[in-house]
Amino acid sequence: MTATISDTGTVAVANAEKGKRLRTAGKLWQAGGPLVIFIAMFAVVAILTPAFIGSGGITIVAASAAPILLVALGQAFVLNIGSIDLSNAAITVLGAILLAMLLGPLAFAAPIVVLAMVTLFGAVNGFLLAYTQVPSFALTLGTLGIFKAASLVVSGATTVYVSQNKDVVSPLYTTQLAGLPLTFVLGVVVAVIAYLFLRFTRAGVGMTAIGKNESGAIFSAVRTRALKIVAFALSGFMAGLAGMTIIAQAGSASAMGLGSDLLLPAIAAAIVGGTSISGGVTNPLNVILGALTIALVPIATAAIGVAAEAQNLVYGVVIIVVVALTLTRSRTAIVK
Amino acid sequence: MTKAKEATTPVLRLTDVQKSFGPVHALKSVSLEIHRGEVIGLIGENGAGKSTLLKILTGIYQPDRGTIAVNGATMKFRNPRDSASAGIGVVHQEQSLFTNLTVAENIAMNGAASKGYGTTFGFYRWGKLNKAAAQTLEIIGSRLNPKTRVGDLSFVDRQMVEIARAISVDTSKNATPLVILDEPTSLLERGETAILEREIRKLKDFGSVIFVSHRLDEIIRNCDRILVMRNGELVADRVTTSVTEDELFKLMVGHESHATKHERRARPVNETPAIEVTGLTRKGKFKNISLSLHPGRVTAIVGTSGSGREEFSRALFGAEKFDGGTIMLNGRAARGWRIPKAVKRGMGFVPAERKVEGMVGGFTAAENIVLTHPGDAAFGPFLKPWKRNKIAQQWFTTLDVRPNDISQNLERFSGGNQQKVVMAKWLNDPELRVLVLDHPLRGLDPGAAETVNEQIKAACKKGTAVILLADTLEEALEMGDDVIVMRDGIVSASYDLTVDNPSTLDLLERMV
Repeated sequence: MTATISDTGTVAVANAEKGKRLRTAGKLWQAGGPLVIFIAMFAVVAILTPAFIGSGGITIVAASAAPILLVALGQAFVLNIGSIDLSNAAITVLGAILLAMLLGPLAFAAPIVVLAMVTLFGAVNGFLLAYTQVPSFALTLGTLGIFKAASLVVSGATTVYVSQNKDVVSPLYTTQLAGLPLTFVLGVVVAVIAYLFLRFTRAGVGMTAIGKNESGAIFSAVRTRALKIVAFALSGFMAGLAGMTIIAQAGSASAMGLGSDLLLPAIAAAIVGGTSISGGVTNPLNVILGALTIALVPIATAAIGVAAEAQNLVYGVVIIVVVALTLTRSRTAIVK
Repeated sequence: MTKAKEATTPVLRLTDVQKSFGPVHALKSVSLEIHRGEVIGLIGENGAGKSTLLKILTGIYQPDRGTIAVNGATMKFRNPRDSASAGIGVVHQEQSLFTNLTVAENIAMNGAASKGYGTTFGFYRWGKLNKAAAQTLEIIGSRLNPKTRVGDLSFVDRQMVEIARAISVDTSKNATPLVILDEPTSLLERGETAILEREIRKLKDFGSVIFVSHRLDEIIRNCDRILVMRNGELVADRVTTSVTEDELFKLMVGHESHATKHERRARPVNETPAIEVTGLTRKGKFKNISLSLHPGRVTAIVGTSGSGREEFSRALFGAEKFDGGTIMLNGRAARGWRIPKAVKRGMGFVPAERKVEGMVGGFTAAENIVLTHPGDAAFGPFLKPWKRNKIAQQWFTTLDVRPNDISQNLERFSGGNQQKVVMAKWLNDPELRVLVLDHPLRGLDPGAAETVNEQIKAACKKGTAVILLADTLEEALEMGDDVIVMRDGIVSASYDLTVDNPSTLDLLERMV
């Protein structure tokens, strides 16, 4: 009696078979796509610049992947509930500036204070989304502007250097584990925790339910408002961790400096990592591969001879191509 | 084409039509004839092959074998457009109109079939368009203004526009239009159904009709001939005058109805009600509603679409707000009433909009069952997914969900089987005290409807109080211990069926 499968509703069945094929393609992509793309990208880099692999290049890639990975993991949480957070990369910069300023006076307490602040910033995003129902795209575009302005004001539009207590966070970058800086290891640990959270807690499954069908989740007694706030708070928290890796690496922060251009690569990393732009699908472990792939982009483009200024072009193209290839057209969800 | 030939050539003739999906034989050789002026009833359980057959007729699927002949000419439908230009029009159960366009525009929006219908080289000619639409509407005896925006129409009027669109196919070739009505009444209220049935009779004057419905009484009332499908085959072709509902049920399902009678429970005297509502009010929707539900009893609420019964039932579950009045659950007041709280206190809700509100499509059936009440599959906030399958499998067996595959995406089950899973989601709560059912049988075939009804009775036996917004008055009278009639947001009558014995007419009088 498996005939029932072919006997679903009446609307939009003209594309049923095509949709099924695309769905299968989507499933395959979610499972193995990120790994395949990473290997392909790695192979390209290895062939173009064989010297790079042997000469500590892996360490460099892992170090530059770390902040991308952390921001991308936060973005993956938000994408998973069917929203988007355009402001989280700006939170990273603001967090980095605040940390640079507070490390001197607060020492070990500074990271804790800053992480609490950025988590609150994210939670405010989530709260506004849940209670005003402004679409996340518009909402976080607005807060993006606010956070950017705050960064400029707080830093006085100059580079803020860590005056003292630099070694509170710098070991994160200088210490290596099997050739990988601790910043990247931190990203991997966060990814593993995120993976376990999404699969083995009621809150995590509830978030995925919101992304798949919000009304269905509401009527299943999922606390949709609370979970939206949590997802955005986590996005803020992880953006803050990314800010910490930047301070660990650079020892300074500015509104225009290192990490100020993370938005596009982080979204690209989440999507290349198999996260669905329309919600309800993400695997944080694959986002690790997505972040590594994106971190290889500058090296590959440099090897081909594309100017460094054009890197965002590559990220933009990557986002469009991957989304176009993997979007299940059976469900024309609007990105919220 | 001579007159005599026209009389004998069937409007539609299928010969040995077959269709498989991989290993699944959805249609195993179907042959049938439909003549001019006939209203054919097509019934069968979900999965019997009805939908596949309809999709072949409308060009969505192509048959693997067999031929389709329309008015004697063999046809190959490559897409819905081919089928529409051959004179086959469909009215879907879920309406597919453009609500922000006018009636005339919607009628003209019938793809290539309406080529030249009020347009010249693709440009609208409003005068011509409105006149053509008025003519089409006149054929079906509707007096709708072609310039009205569809969004401003009532549901049944929209259905008329759908029918007009279905028959707006080119009649100039002397072809007889064939209108397929795919469960047109499943979303209509009783009064509206009567209007639609009258229109179906009018369609006979100039065309033929295939009427698909799960309501056997309706099929018998409206059709000249009834085709029954089971397991991809036509198992019966009966003239309506010689069949009964019981016979049709048996032909469809393959066995006699196992339905047990609902054992009514008298209203107890000294017992805390499962839920007690006092003076519940929401401005403009419902006013001053008081009722108490006792464990093990079914309270059926009937009313037309503007009666406020939907809003009231949603307010009980915390899905919508109320302005005044109180809700008491097991003697404790409900404060700050929202869905998570209501569910914590033992309430469940099966929404009418199954796909949108009732389930999370994209999750597997098993994930849906344990989403709200994970039972053994959770430890505090943590989940134990490995325990999930056992729970789901038990429900699949109890409710005979088909196909028996708990890890299948719930979106891919048929409506009846989805509804069984939605029921299981709430029945998995051992502490379920109040279950609100908003049109639980909507769109269900009789087999699935029987399973759902049996589960409602089983829940009652375990002490759950049930609120039922039934599809039909007959359903309300059959399942209810109490029947409450709502009109314009207030309770206009209430009957205790263990004492009173109202007829459907009595109820209808209080409804309008």
